[in-house]
Formats: sequence, structure tokens, C-alpha cells
Amino acid sequence: MSKRTVMLVSMLFALSLVFASCGADEVDINTEEPIVEAQQETTGDLVFAANGEDFVRAGFVSSDGWHITFRHVYVTITDVAAYQTNPPYDPHTGDEIIGDVQVELAGVFTIDLAEGDENADPVLVGILEEVPAGHYNALSWSMVPAEEGSSQGYSIFIDAQAEKGDDSYNVFLGFENGYRYAAGEFVGDARKGFVTPDAAGDLEMTFHFDHIFGDFEQPADCDLNMMAIGFEPFAELMQEGTVSEDLASLSENLPEETYTKLLEALPTLGHTGEGHCHCTVIQ
Amino acid sequence: MSLHSDPVKGLLLFAALLLTALPVFAHGARVIWEVQGDSVHISAAFDDGTPMNEAQVTVFSGAEPSVPYTSGLTDENGEFTFLPDVEQSLAWDVQVRKAGHGDIVHFSLDGSTDTLSDQGAFTTLQIILMSACVVWGFIGTALFFATKRKGQNAHS
Repeated sequence: MSKRTVMLVSMLFALSLVFASCGADEVDINTEEPIVEAQQETTGDLVFAANGEDFVRAGFVSSDGWHITFRHVYVTITDVAAYQTNPPYDPHTGDEIIGDVQVELAGVFTIDLAEGDENADPVLVGILEEVPAGHYNALSWSMVPAEEGSSQGYSIFIDAQAEKGDDSYNVFLGFENGYRYAAGEFVGDARKGFVTPDAAGDLEMTFHFDHIFGDFEQPADCDLNMMAIGFEPFAELMQEGTVSEDLASLSENLPEETYTKLLEALPTLGHTGEGHCHCTVIQ
Repeated sequence: MSLHSDPVKGLLLFAALLLTALPVFAHGARVIWEVQGDSVHISAAFDDGTPMNEAQVTVFSGAEPSVPYTSGLTDENGEFTFLPDVEQSLAWDVQVRKAGHGDIVHFSLDGSTDTLSDQGAFTTLQIILMSACVVWGFIGTALFFATKRKGQNAHS
């Protein structure tokens, strides 16, 4: 084989490679404009919701037998972000979420989780339009003290009625601490977070208040009820038919062991559906 | 009324909170998967080791990630087995839930734990051409030196 043949075949290969790798940059013979492949990056809408579940909307019986119904449960949420992660984020690692795609919902939102009856949908927090399509399989948000409104000074503020036997108390509980939650994929009845041009995806920040009060329907010695403090410790602080406390006062008025349990339970409130979050104290 | 109390006390409270051991996963669930022959074996337990018996299991294939491939309940040991269709997908997601708590695991049957993705991959044509170019590079180099040696021999 001559040198000339070797060079000719080599050049043909090189040219083929150039054409193959530059296939997207073809030119329209009519307009002489580069042809862009149709919809290389599709977009859709992403809906963020918050959910206190039936515990908050319909009320429930605490592990120690108090029937609690909620007039309002305010949570203040900010720094909400959704991610497409590969590999999927595992909150058990405690790592930061690193997404191939990250979108953020700007703003501070005070949400009343008790809004609506037991059949109500989760409360809308916000909608991001035209985000890149794909599966948003991780979510993060912060819960911070509200700067204004009914829950000012508190990241969580509960306005409820607690009843047991002949006792019926007004309950006002404020929790002033702030938390940062990092969650993986929603765990629940349906998979969430799929954004397509035809259908909006949705994500849910879920709050499990049975982690504070316990759940009478679960065994007394189950993990959940062992972690929760129930309602009785709050009831013992009742004055003139009302329980009105925040963490600052509870730190003085509750037995030390009970107060420590409450501090340990509060970070576990945040979930996505039934999926747990990695939580850090932020203030 | 104790709400909105002393800010100094609040600061001390926050300092105490910062010392609180975190993260917290009390009452969490962990799901483990294992390939056994043609099947995938799932084992689910709460964080304290209690098996998630009679927990709801939903399996999703990477081909249709929002549509359940199969579903069922774990046995008394928190275990569940399913037969994946590897022709359909190598990527699988399994969700296990019980009593308001659960977890989802993602795995690939190609030995990687990453979810499969074709993002950034080369096309088949590009791969063939690149392979051919590498091979031709070796052949071309050999032929070049062979031709050069032939020329030297002719001069000598």
C-alpha cells in the first residue's frame, strides 16, 4: 500500500468523524441558518406543596389520650430548592445535595397546614414555570421564624384545642428554632417530581406532628411513641384553661428530660411524604 | 402568656440547640436489596432493626419510572422478592412503606448503584468511527514505517 493511499484513507476517516460529531450543526439550504435540533431542552412546571397530613387537618389522639384539633398550624418556609440528582440523593448520608439540575423557589412562605378539611389537598406553596424537564428526585427547604403575621418569631406556631374527659384547653405553642431539611425522593402513594412539557411535576414538604404528640393508634412502645412526649407535659402547664408556651418558657417549665426529648423530636418533623430528611439546626 | 419572651434567653436556647446531636432519623426505615439468581430480594426494617412486616412494596422499572412494575406486601421478616424484566430496564426503584414511614432505594442490575443515564453518551455511529480511527491509526503507523524501511532498502 502506497504512502498516498494511507494518507487518503486517513483523511477520509478524519472527515467522517468530523461530520458525525457535528451532525447537529447542519445548515438549512434555504435560509443558510444553522438547524437547531427541535426542543433539545424541554421544560415544564414544578409545583411545591406543604402538607400536615390528616393529623393536622382532621385532628388526632395523642399517645396519652388527648384529642387534639388544630385551628391553625403555621410553618414558615424559605430557601426551597428542587434537584435532579444522579445517583439519587440519600438523606441518610447527611451529605449536601448535588444536582445535575437545580431550581429554586424564591421567597418566604408562611403556610397554614390546618387549612381545609380532612379531604383538602396539600397547601400550595408556589409554582416554578418552565423548569428543565426531568425527574426532580431531591428537595431541600428551611423552616425559619416568621418575621411578621400571626406566627411572628416562630418557625412553627400551633393554635389548637386539646380535650380529654372533662378537660378542654386552648393551646398556643410556638417553636422558635430553625431547621434546614434535605430530602431525597418523595415516598408515598404515587411517585412525584416528574416534569414534562405536558404535565407539571409536584413535590411535597410534609410535616409529621405525631412526632411531638405521639399517636394513640400506634402501640405505646413503638419507636414513634417512645420518641414523642405526648400532650400531658403541656397540659400540666395549663393556666386558666389555656396552655401558652414557647421553647424559651418550656426550657424552664418542662422537666429537663422531657424538654430534651422535645428538642430531639422537633427536627424529625420534616419529611417528603413518608421519606425522612437529613436535618441541621440553622438558628 | 410566655410567648415572645426574653431575647437573651432565646439566644441561649439557640446555642443549646446548636449542640443538639443531629442528624435525626428516629423511626426511619432502611431498605436493602440483593440479587438472588434472576430475582431481586428486598429486606426492609425500621432504624431500630424491627422488620417492616406487611409493609407495602412498590417496584418501578427505569423504563416507566412513574408506573408501578409490580407491588405487594413484605412477609413477617420484612422481605419481598420480585423478578425484574432486564430486557425492559436495568435500573430499578423499590419503595417500601408502613405506618406512615418508608424509604425508596434505587439500583442498577449492571453492577452500578447509579441510576442509568444516557446523558453525555456518544452515538453508536460516533463510537464505531472513533474505534475505526484508533485501529486505522495503528495500521497507518505500521504501514508508514514499513514503506519507509522499504525505501531505505531500495537505496542501499
